[in-house]
Parts: sequence; C-alpha cells; structure tokens
Amino acid sequence: MLFLQLLANGLQVGAIYALTAAGFSLIFGSTKIFHFAHGATFAIAAYLFHFALAGLGLHWTFAVAVAAFSAVLFGVLLDRLMYAPIQRHEGSFFTVFVASFGIGIVVQNLLGSVFGRGFMSVATPLSNSVEVMPGLYLSPLNGLAIVSAIVCFAALHFFLTRTFVGKGLRALSENPELVRMFGLSPRRLSTYAFALGSLLVVPGAIFTAAGTGINPAVGHHVMLISLAATIVGGIGSLRGAACAGLLIGVAENLALWKLGTQWSEAMTFAILFFFIIFKPSGFFGRATVS
Amino acid sequence: MTAYILNLLVLISVYAILSTTLNFIIGYAGIFSLAHAVFFGIGGYTAALVAMNVTPEFFVAVPVAMGAAAVTSLLLALPALRVRGEYFVAASLGLQVLAVTLFSEWKSFTGGIGGVIGIPAVELFGYPVYKPWQFLLMSLICLATIIVITRTLVHTSFGRSLKALRDSESAALASGKNITVIKTLSVVLSSSLAAAAGALYAFYMSFINVESFMLDTSVLVMAMVIIGGTATILGPLLGAALLMLIPSALTYLSFLPQTEIGSIQQMVYGMAMVLLMIFRPGGIVSSHPGGSK
Repeated sequence: MLFLQLLANGLQVGAIYALTAAGFSLIFGSTKIFHFAHGATFAIAAYLFHFALAGLGLHWTFAVAVAAFSAVLFGVLLDRLMYAPIQRHEGSFFTVFVASFGIGIVVQNLLGSVFGRGFMSVATPLSNSVEVMPGLYLSPLNGLAIVSAIVCFAALHFFLTRTFVGKGLRALSENPELVRMFGLSPRRLSTYAFALGSLLVVPGAIFTAAGTGINPAVGHHVMLISLAATIVGGIGSLRGAACAGLLIGVAENLALWKLGTQWSEAMTFAILFFFIIFKPSGFFGRATVS
Repeated sequence: MTAYILNLLVLISVYAILSTTLNFIIGYAGIFSLAHAVFFGIGGYTAALVAMNVTPEFFVAVPVAMGAAAVTSLLLALPALRVRGEYFVAASLGLQVLAVTLFSEWKSFTGGIGGVIGIPAVELFGYPVYKPWQFLLMSLICLATIIVITRTLVHTSFGRSLKALRDSESAALASGKNITVIKTLSVVLSSSLAAAAGALYAFYMSFINVESFMLDTSVLVMAMVIIGGTATILGPLLGAALLMLIPSALTYLSFLPQTEIGSIQQMVYGMAMVLLMIFRPGGIVSSHPGGSK
C-alpha cells in the first residue's frame, strides 16, 4: 500500500515538475536564454496565489488569475528589462546565467522578508485526503494536478503546431537567422516564449501552495528539478522535459520507500549526474552538445 | 573592537582564498563550477579529523585535506571533460546537492547536522597558533602563497593553454593541447587549494557543520568572483572583501531590523550581479576595458 501511496504522490509531483520543466525548456529551447529565474516565477505565483486566497480572501478564480497574471508579468518584464539589454551587447551563456541567478536570489529573499520564511500552505476543500483503499489516501488535488497537466500539454501542443506564434517559436529554436529573414522579430517571439513559459508554472505553483506547502526556497528547488528534467529529457525537447519531470517526481517519491526524505533530492541529482556523464543529449535531445 | 576587526579580516582572507581558487577555473579555464563549497567542506572536515585524531600540525593537516579534496575533485573533472556551459553548471549543482546530503548524513566523518565540535588549535612545528593576530598572519601568508601560485601558473604555458581552452576548445585541440590533462589538472588544483581554505576555516572556528558548506556558500563565492571581476588577480580579492563587509556595514544602519541583515546582504549581491551583468559584464576590476569580452 505504501508503494501505491508513493506512486500516487509521485505522479502528482511529477505532473507539476513536468509542467515547470516544459516551461523552462520552451524558453531555453527557443530563445537560448538560460532562464534560471524560472524558479523565481514559480515562487512568486505560489506566494501571490496564497496571499490572494488566504490574505485577501478572494474567490479562488481571482486568486488563480492573480497568480497567472503575476507569473506572466514577471517573465515578460525580465525578458524586456534584463535579458534584452544583456543580449544587446554580449549575451554569452555565462553573463545571462549570472544575471538570472542574481534575480533568483533577490526574489527568494524578498519573498522571505515580506511573507516570512516558514512553510505556508493554504487549505482548500480539495486538499482533504480521503482513504480510498486501506492505507491509500488520495485528495482530489492528486487527480486535479494530473488532469490539468494533461490539459496544459494538449493545449501547448495545439498552440505550437497550429498557431502562427507557436510555429514561429519552433522556427526560432531551429534557426533565429532564418526567422529574421522571414520578417519576424526574434525579440517579439522571445517575449511570447517568456509569457507562455511563465504561464506553465502557474498550475504547479497553485497545486504546491494548496498541497505540500511553500517556502521562499521553493523556487530554487523547483528550478533545480526543472533544470535536471530539461537535461535528462534532452534540451529543446518539450516531450523529453515532460517525461523526465514525471520520471523524477516518481523516482523522488519511490526513493522514500527505502530511503529517508533527505535522500529524495540527492536521488534526482544522481539521475542527472548519470545522464550528464553517459548520455548528455538526454532522452530525445539532438546529438549536438555545446 | 580589535577582536571584531581581526575576526572579519581572517574571514575575508579565507573567503579570498576561495574566490581566488574559484576564479582560477572560472576565469582562466572557463569551467563554471557551482560546487566550490564542496571542496571547502572536504578540506574543513578532513583537517578537523586529522587534527583531532592524529596531530594538529599545520603541515600535516593541510596537505592531507588538500589531498582528500584533490581525489574527490575528480568527480567534478569527469563532467567537465564531457560537457560545457549549462550542462556543466547542472552537473556541478548536482554534485553540490549530493555533497550536502552526504555531509549531513555521514555522521562518523562530519558529525551530521551537529557538526564537528572542539577542533584543537593548529600548530606550526609544535607551536600552537591560537591568538587572533597570529592566525590572521597565518591566513594572510596562505592567501599570498595561493595568489603567487595561481599568478605564476597563469603566466606559464599551462596558463596559456587554459585560456586557449576557454576561448575555443576545438582550436586548442587542433593546436595539439592535451585537453583532458589540462582540464583535470586545473580542477584538481583549484579544488585542493580551496580545501586549504577549508582547513584554515575549521582551525579558526574550532567548530564546523554543514551550514557553512551549502549551495549558499558556493553562490556567495561565485558572486565574489563575478562582482570583483573574472580572470583578474585583484577582482576576487576585492569581491571577497566587499561581500564580507556588506553585512557588517549593514549592522551600522540601525533602522534595518537585525533579523533581516542576512537576507538584505543576499539581495544586495543578487542585485549587484544583475546590474553588473547588464552594464559591466567583466566585473568591477575588468580585465577587458570597455566591459565586453
């Protein structure tokens, strides 16, 4: 029974990781910006959702809207105010990474100072676990997280294959020069990538805030996981990021079966380390390694 | 007050050793490691173990600590040989996270979360060094030695090979450089020198635990290198001094709540990293005038 319980938890966590990793992978794949502050977006969305719901007492639909709006705004502002000026003069991987990391540090501490450093969780009617089978406790949130991940991936797939902007984003990841030649602006597309990628963290942020709870370092943790998932899945492959996110979520929870909680993060990084040394291109990655 | 300043100076020199050694691989070899605190920690724990069980002699404990870090640093060299850029950052992050788990779980070596308590004062040829000013002198001498070592290395053919490798790996390979050896050596060297800083730190504090060797420390040291200026001698020193002085300077601003000092320090250097990358990517002491590489 413990196994099933851990598997159920793993699937929920995995669905959240998959969405966040897909967001990171989308941004990184199409714009080549190593958006380390993606975790900060997650933390901001989670905290503002919590604040809107528990602090202001808004209806949950408004709280979700607040989270979504703030995530997109944060992503787009970073793209416009930070990444654009950096890319204008140099934009090496290193420079972008350092700046992004810096913003991550600022946001984490700012959230800590404003909302407190402890764990926070918002109780919703959906958070209550019910004993489905002897020893197996499930809450509606478990199922909801998985369903919303599937819906988001379907929508994302539709967007990327059917709409003009989506096709533009895929073209940008293939060849930015050619995109420019066709009269599209890579800068504009980059903004779309950031808006979309940031939007993808929102379900994860909400389910984490309503489920296991959040603390200011949550962004950091989520970032490490999505980074691991992106690389394990193969950089630039959304499908890969999603599968790897799911794999990591499940592996992390199944590790609890035999090992203590403190090993779950180590588990993720053992997987990552293994992939980097033996198969740096990941599951579905292209053969090239920078 | 003198004790306070001496304490600050010792800590600055320990961190200056860390930033100088990290700069060696970031600035000259282009290996962007987020696992520097791991070797700081290995140095600290090993030196503590040697001092408590064998002898607190400086010239025994520090070389052993450096040796231990040199061996474990092969774990970092391995991904560095395989991948570059974002992949390597991720690998080093992975190593850092794994190491923190090990540090807090491997109780016989590290004492777990509680740490190692009661590390004896370090001895130089049998003379214990415990007065703060003596210790400051010792750590300054270590720092100077390490600066001289890295400076000399950078100006030898080894240093030139490193820079060639940083700028273009394939070109370096084409000119007949042995990339495997050069990269491994630079990682081993930087990590073992970082372990010396760890040993000094352990002797100075006489108590260490995992808190000092977490990702935060790696990031802090990275910030020192970047804010000061990569690929320069002065930059990392300046960076270390600046970032260590920020919390002390902030305590003088009495309107700030004392509990928030730590997070304000982090916000200040986070913001400094962002602004520098936008306006002056080379750092304060830029090796390339004009700010671009």
